[in-house]
Amino acid sequence: MAATADPLEAFYFEHEEQQSICGQPVSPITDGFDANYPSVVDRFFTRYYYIRANAAYQVLYHSNRICLICLAPSHPALAQGVSTLSFDVGNVDRSQNVVKGKGKKGGMILQADSTLALLTTETGQTYKIPSCIRGKLVEVNAALVAEPKLLEQLPEGAGYFAILLPKIENCDLIREKLLTQEQYEEYLKTSHEQDTEHLETSKEQKEEEHMKANKEEPGHHGHGHSSPTAAKLYKFTVKVLKIAVKSL
Amino acid sequence: MKNQELVDYLVSCGVCTICQLRYLRARGTEYNDINQSFQRLGVKVPENQLEDETNGISTDEQPLKKPRLSHCSTCLGIFSEDFQRELIEGIIASDFGKYDSEGIVLAITMPMSLQLRQLSMWFALQRKFGPTVHSNSPPDVPIKEAVKLILHPIICKKLDKKYDANGLMISIDLRHTVEEHEVDKLVELNRVAFPGKTLKRIEISRGLLEKQYQPSRVKAETYEKYLPIPPPAVDESLSLKSIDLQGPMVCVAGRYRKLSRELSHTPWLLQGVRQMEDSIEEIIIRSVGPHFTETVPKITFMSSGREDVDVRCLGKGRPFVLEIPNSRHSSLTKERALAMEQAVDKSGKVSILNLQVVPREQAMHIKTGEEQKRKYYRALCALKEPATLEILQKLQIPESFDIQQKTPIRVLHRRPLHTRPRTIYSVKARLQRDNPLVLVIDIVTQAGTYIKELVHGEFGRTTPSFSSIIGKPIDIQALDVVGIDLDWPPEVDNSLSQ
Repeated sequence: MAATADPLEAFYFEHEEQQSICGQPVSPITDGFDANYPSVVDRFFTRYYYIRANAAYQVLYHSNRICLICLAPSHPALAQGVSTLSFDVGNVDRSQNVVKGKGKKGGMILQADSTLALLTTETGQTYKIPSCIRGKLVEVNAALVAEPKLLEQLPEGAGYFAILLPKIENCDLIREKLLTQEQYEEYLKTSHEQDTEHLETSKEQKEEEHMKANKEEPGHHGHGHSSPTAAKLYKFTVKVLKIAVKSL
Repeated sequence: MKNQELVDYLVSCGVCTICQLRYLRARGTEYNDINQSFQRLGVKVPENQLEDETNGISTDEQPLKKPRLSHCSTCLGIFSEDFQRELIEGIIASDFGKYDSEGIVLAITMPMSLQLRQLSMWFALQRKFGPTVHSNSPPDVPIKEAVKLILHPIICKKLDKKYDANGLMISIDLRHTVEEHEVDKLVELNRVAFPGKTLKRIEISRGLLEKQYQPSRVKAETYEKYLPIPPPAVDESLSLKSIDLQGPMVCVAGRYRKLSRELSHTPWLLQGVRQMEDSIEEIIIRSVGPHFTETVPKITFMSSGREDVDVRCLGKGRPFVLEIPNSRHSSLTKERALAMEQAVDKSGKVSILNLQVVPREQAMHIKTGEEQKRKYYRALCALKEPATLEILQKLQIPESFDIQQKTPIRVLHRRPLHTRPRTIYSVKARLQRDNPLVLVIDIVTQAGTYIKELVHGEFGRTTPSFSSIIGKPIDIQALDVVGIDLDWPPEVDNSLSQ
């Protein structure tokens, strides 16, 4: 008997009291269990992504517009092994951020491309973690500095670098600029295809013209907002050069 | 200056007996028996006056209608019996009968003329009796004070009510035909008497009048250019401009239980748009409010803390108080309380018990020491892997421990960022027999602890959390409040009325 006794027997829940409210019996709390209950992230956040220097970052956008900035699961640092993390980004230490009151007064104002933190990998590479959105810095996850390895182990969201609060009026534009989950998956697919394409072409020693075409746009995946910006920058540079030539 | 000389002069100016006593600086009960007071003060009571006053000032009997005499030049007849009668009739004709308050308080707004006339008489007495009359302390007991001493007790008695500062407030606005003219003159006088302070639009308040208009600051000669000294008697009496009633603030307390996981505490608005059709506050006020007041929207709902929209509140329920201003009723029968409880039950979402009127001072109980109170919860939690003996053992914590909790992200957009220490008094987890992923955890915490975040840890922002204690992910799917340790309001079983 002792061998077959359930070791958890002492811990089973019994719905004891039969309370009645508004003339209805109160149902046991266990009735509310849902095997497919969404996770905390799924319940309250929308996943968005931001690409910088071929590395993807995740923005968890809460229904109240608070944003958590994280590494996307595809971020190369996760494969390379995280070595160190610092919020001292050179000119300023983000971990010195202090906010006061409801309005989070005193929080650093960040732009999407402002560096939030510096991450180095075991392969010796340094990643400038971008802020991903324009907003006020509310909180940084200082625990990651002491234990950067947590980034590789923690469940989704818990490896957040920082919490940002965008202005209400900027929210629509901010979300528009970020990649949605769908666009992110599309991005992963194309970048993956291109990677394999690279491999195949090198293997099969394809014609030179094809190689050229690939070289002309290295790492360009024809995706997101980086191309229009690049095009604008190009046009602008040409304009400036033309003016410079004229003035000569 | 002898009392007799003073009274003789006042009589010659058309001043009534009560005001004569005011100028004799009679206090308190001395106004009850005028003749006796006159005698004690060494003043001979004129014969016609004796006759006039034998009925006493507070008797109900209506003497024969005498031909209208002119009214007192200083009080404009506020202390006359006729006026008292008019006042009582006016109050009774108002909604006065709708209020069952045992206590009343009067707030009488008097025409500015009374203050002007007081000043005028002050000048007159100075002229007549010289420097024995001070320039900066009034020669009389102020009318305001005399009204309190004389009129208030009479009105309370006639209406069969007690004086109570927190009772039904009867605001009476009095006017007199001479006021408009006299205030116009005052405006002109003010320009001359206080030229430096002339504003574009002179708004002379009663307070200013009281403070600045004294013989030490305004010359009698200046005053006399605009208004006569001494004040002349008037033919018309004061009249009632308006009577406003403001019922007392009544506090109704009870405990509520909440059965629905889709009901907010108070109306939930997001950018001005309603998110849920009803709320606890509205359901309770709808059933309780109309009995007490016509101004239901002015009722304030307070409770000892609050639960989230999706949290049930079971057990004995959560104490709450309604603050009902301008209430007609100051008590609640058990029968009526039961009917209200049953009306709330019909919502099928909220139930109330122990409904009762409580003293106003006690309503504070609900907010004091909120941080110290213990709250009892039951949480439905889900693991990702089946529970082990180790997990269950780690979640049996009979001793209290402290956690650090950052402001949850779900409220961070509208609350300051803080890390708050909170005490968890005990944790007791049990396992659902047919599902090893499901834990039912009973938790006792300090008020103000965010339970959902305590369970899953919110990305490490609450530490320790149940998740960090067991070293595995754990999420919360449902939460019930099962107890709030506040022994107030007292238990009252209204169903015993049946």
